[in-house]
Amino acid sequence: MAVDVEDRERAAKPDPLSVAVRLQPTRRAGLEERFALTDPEPGLEVTRNPHIARLVRNRKFQFLLIVPNQVVFWTVIFVGIAGTAIPGLNFGAAITWYVWFCLVFVMMVVVGRAWCAMCPFGGFAEWVQRRTFWGRTQKALGLGRKFPEPLARLGFLIPVASFLLLTWIEEFFNIAGPGNPADTSWMVVGIVSSALLFFLVFERRTFCRYVCPLTTLIGTVGSMGSVAGFRTKDREVCLSCRTKDCMRGGDDGYGCPWYTWPGSADSNLSCGLCSECFKSCPEGNVGLFLQRPLTSVVAPRRRRADVAWGIAVLWGLVVYQQFNATNVFASIDGWLNRNMLFPHYPNPVDYAGVIAAGTAVLAGIAWLFSRGFGRAEATPAGVAAIGTGTAGRDSFVDRTSRFRSFFVPLTYGLIPVVGADYFARQLPKFFKHATRVVPAVAHIAGFSSANSTLYGFHILSDGWIVVVQVGVIVAGTAAAAWTTWRIANRELVPVSRSAVGIRLASLGVVLACGATASVLYVLMHAAS
Amino acid sequence: MAFTMTETHLAGAGRPRVQVLADRCAGCQECVIRCPVAALDMDAARWVAVAREDLCVGCRQCERTCPFSAIVVTGPVMAGSRATAETVHPEPLLADMGEVRRGFASWDEALAEAQRCLACPDPTCVRGCPAHNDIPGFIAAIGQRDLATAHEVLQRTSVLPDICARVCNQSAQCEGACTWSLAGEAPVAIGLLERFVTDRHTVPAPEPGEDAGMSVGVVGAGPGGIGAAWALVEAGAAVTVYERDPVPAGLLRWGIPDFTLPEAVAARPWRQLQEAGVEVRCGIDVDAAGIDTLLAEHDAVVVATGASIAVRLPFPGANLEGVVDATAFLKTARTAFSEEGGIQAWLAEMGLDGDAGADAAPHVLVLGAGNTAMDVARTARRLGLAATCVDWLDERFSLARPDELAEARQEGVRVRFARTVTRVEGAAGAGAEGRVRRALLARTRQQRADRLPSILDREPVEPLEVDLVVMAMGYRPDPVVAGALPGTPVRRQAQGVPEREWAASGVLANPASAFAFHNPVGTLALGREVGLRAAALPVRDRLWVVGDALVGPATVVEAMAQGRRAADALMAARPSRPGSGGSRRSRRALVCYASEGGNTAQVARAVGEELAGKGLSVRVLPVERVGPAELAAADLLVIGTWVKGYVVAKVGPAPEMQTWLGRLPRLGGVPVALFCTYGVHPRSTLGTMAAAVERQGARVVTTSALRHGGTKAAAIALARRAIAGARERAAAPAEPAAMS
Repeated sequence: MAVDVEDRERAAKPDPLSVAVRLQPTRRAGLEERFALTDPEPGLEVTRNPHIARLVRNRKFQFLLIVPNQVVFWTVIFVGIAGTAIPGLNFGAAITWYVWFCLVFVMMVVVGRAWCAMCPFGGFAEWVQRRTFWGRTQKALGLGRKFPEPLARLGFLIPVASFLLLTWIEEFFNIAGPGNPADTSWMVVGIVSSALLFFLVFERRTFCRYVCPLTTLIGTVGSMGSVAGFRTKDREVCLSCRTKDCMRGGDDGYGCPWYTWPGSADSNLSCGLCSECFKSCPEGNVGLFLQRPLTSVVAPRRRRADVAWGIAVLWGLVVYQQFNATNVFASIDGWLNRNMLFPHYPNPVDYAGVIAAGTAVLAGIAWLFSRGFGRAEATPAGVAAIGTGTAGRDSFVDRTSRFRSFFVPLTYGLIPVVGADYFARQLPKFFKHATRVVPAVAHIAGFSSANSTLYGFHILSDGWIVVVQVGVIVAGTAAAAWTTWRIANRELVPVSRSAVGIRLASLGVVLACGATASVLYVLMHAAS
Repeated sequence: MAFTMTETHLAGAGRPRVQVLADRCAGCQECVIRCPVAALDMDAARWVAVAREDLCVGCRQCERTCPFSAIVVTGPVMAGSRATAETVHPEPLLADMGEVRRGFASWDEALAEAQRCLACPDPTCVRGCPAHNDIPGFIAAIGQRDLATAHEVLQRTSVLPDICARVCNQSAQCEGACTWSLAGEAPVAIGLLERFVTDRHTVPAPEPGEDAGMSVGVVGAGPGGIGAAWALVEAGAAVTVYERDPVPAGLLRWGIPDFTLPEAVAARPWRQLQEAGVEVRCGIDVDAAGIDTLLAEHDAVVVATGASIAVRLPFPGANLEGVVDATAFLKTARTAFSEEGGIQAWLAEMGLDGDAGADAAPHVLVLGAGNTAMDVARTARRLGLAATCVDWLDERFSLARPDELAEARQEGVRVRFARTVTRVEGAAGAGAEGRVRRALLARTRQQRADRLPSILDREPVEPLEVDLVVMAMGYRPDPVVAGALPGTPVRRQAQGVPEREWAASGVLANPASAFAFHNPVGTLALGREVGLRAAALPVRDRLWVVGDALVGPATVVEAMAQGRRAADALMAARPSRPGSGGSRRSRRALVCYASEGGNTAQVARAVGEELAGKGLSVRVLPVERVGPAELAAADLLVIGTWVKGYVVAKVGPAPEMQTWLGRLPRLGGVPVALFCTYGVHPRSTLGTMAAAVERQGARVVTTSALRHGGTKAAAIALARRAIAGARERAAAPAEPAAMS
């Protein structure tokens, strides 16, 4: 007699509930095609290693990631307010602006949302919301509201707006300069308070998904990363699952705080690497997977307009952050401030104007492509599949048009160069001042001063910093050329009159972006 | 019968609008597979759900089942109009015990109402029904005008459809959990449709099964006993029922007045059961010692003694003459209606003036406003008395059936909520002995359903002249019998993470509609499920308990369902009494384990293979997947765990094993073999596990600690010891004293 290991249907009489439940069939049409390119290879599952699996399954896993950052950022808050006013010697300001921002970018490019998994802001608020540091509680603290549907419809655009606002505030008060270290502390307090407020009003990680200033940047640039996130091992198991513990929460884990289902995840865009789905899946059908770099940029079949507009605006912002270091900008800003009676840099008009111009240039190019290359008879991607007479076709993130058929894929292809630009923008502070963190730490105990050797030590000279910055941009441009070429072949060629023309034109956009950034870095001459 | 949109549905209110939040929809299809009208489909390119608004009926099932709240439905709920049946208001009421509520008068009415059923793919009404009747199934049969099939569907889960249709509080059960109700509209009249089936077609009698060679004693002839006896006789067992009253049916006969449940309907099940060969011995009161005697006479015993002791409040004056409980009132009142001049005799016996006239009729104060209180008050009105019910709950959170409450008021019963009796006084004033004359009522305040009311001490008490006080706050099980039933009462409250299938169905999404008094119908139903599952597990060796004796005061349908569940479990376990010639052997083994690195799972499989090789039917499951249903279907348990801890500190069973052991239901003498796999030393791991399972009545027959997963030979030896240990103990006499 064989051992009946998995049989659930052996009751003496059939369970009356099972008899009465007659679910509609699960739809599988188009499944293979939809996920063929995005599903990671089984061999790239790191949780196949039992030691890693045990670590990730442990409920303290994320807690242990968050705790060190929690310690650092409460120290930042405390030292920033109570410590020295010299920014370079103040641990709060030094660790935040010389090192942290740079590290976050490295983590994005290599991993994805690694920072989100260890973020002390959301992490702290989540502890309060769940009323536990690591346990699986049943009742959340707070109102548990759902994010208003009209706002949620905008996807990743609200976070872009909050990033623009935060950046303007940071520039206005010269927080990241760094200026007065207390301003850094108050900024962190503001972020923590906002996070806490949102976690107490709304359910799950609504803040991280829909509001956090960094979430669009980390999500988009992070899609270059080599960690695919938590994905299904066998999609059939997920499709036949009738409980979706990974979404609703199970005995051992919460429902996904990021509103991501491992069964349909096609990129790492919205995987916060919190491991709750891995813990909660009763079938052990979720794994943590690696992927080839740039896979989440190139492979997903579903392109989202909110992500595309987000990338375009982020491009405008980083161009602004380069342009504002030039004399031309200083003249314009000064002129505007004088005429508008605005106290000082940055004038909101030129701030918004430059960002809008950067965004508009990309959108304009896409519009020109749609007019110049677009085939009038071509059905914009997605329209046929969605069909008519169905709700959901007019969703902002998915709505299709001739313009979007070019704009959306084109901007996805630019992710590497935009990411490289942000990274390069942080390098001067790192190479000039990262070593200040050591005397800043010592200064907490009263042991060092601005005369310390490490305080004035530059890892690289200004000239070499420019070289490295341009090198980063070249690397980013090369990566973007590759992603754009792949995306253009699959998504732009079918809707274009000229396959060669659209490929070359798309590459031209990438090169133009790379060249613009490089030239601006040369002009900036390592200004931080 | 498929749901059909009618003119009524479309009248005036526009169409529902479905917003799929494409940003958040993950394409999990939970909504697609549960949409009653197939209005949801998948967009393959984007892998998100899309909705056909022209098909949508606005039932919001998709909203309730979406794990990510990615669907918003606005606009009308196209539930249509709920059909009603006639309610008779006798005039005059005196001595008229005729049934008040009627069923559908015609096929047209029934068919129109049946058409409102959406036949939901994951029917929440079925979860709301304590017996889990296949409600869409029998309604579909009505739609086909096939009442035989409707009965066949109902009889899979219920043997009392005619009674349940009359006495169930459907608003807090099936109808409260109907999709339309969860969407805030009037649900399908499930109770009336069930009654229609039984009004038009006699409930089929039980068909005795092939002789199974088993003798089972059932104690109590109430609904729990009926459910158990019915399933047992159909399974071929020889059933003997022991009933305290002179006639069987328990509370169905003496506790529910004829105007709600006519005697002919209440007597139907026992008439059919006796015709099917069930032996009923009335007038036998089985106490704790009697249960042991029955265990020696029968292969198994099902205790369904119910809750027959009326709850009494200990307020000052509670012992005055003229303060009685609901049991005494209803039992004696029943005889008053059945005899010529019985009412006058009853009034005289109660010390009430039967000649006072309508304006000065004696006044009965009924404490409580639940179902029992309504029965008492309405019976009092039929005895020519004035009746006032007081309940300390707020009316918003009342436990009464809404229709029953309305009927009581219609019949002149004064129902006062947010009041409580602080004391009653005799004729000579406060604290005096003698006949009750006055009750003092204090106001209460209750702000939430899940909070008890508080008494407003500072407000003046209100005097009420009364001639009789009836305590009708419900009943409780006989404490003497309960003392012999370890593990009872089982609390009907689900613990931990809600059952995943239940959460997925949407029935736990609250609030329900005003129709259901905003009761959290899903949570209540899930709590009832705890009792239903507990009924499948014996509380002692060969002893099952069902109904109010198991869970405390509950409902007719729950008791019946538990009786059936216990009978099914009993017949699957096939126990035999010591010395009966048959030998109980463990035929179904369950090996459950907590494994981290795979060692424990490997041992579990090896043990399972050996048990299977010895002829047992074996399941090997991780503990996360072992619940009461799996435990109930096991005659031998093997439990294994990995050992956690730091060599000398915090060493013990794995955390998941500890959690699982902490939630174990009563195991009633099941033999258990324990093992653990360890790296350095298991310390007290096995002792901890043994204590946990023994606390729930299991018998540990062998234990084994295996270093690094041990050897296959060790696993085989463990399996053999488990089988041998189970046989040895099964052959030994029962030890009730030790078990209790």
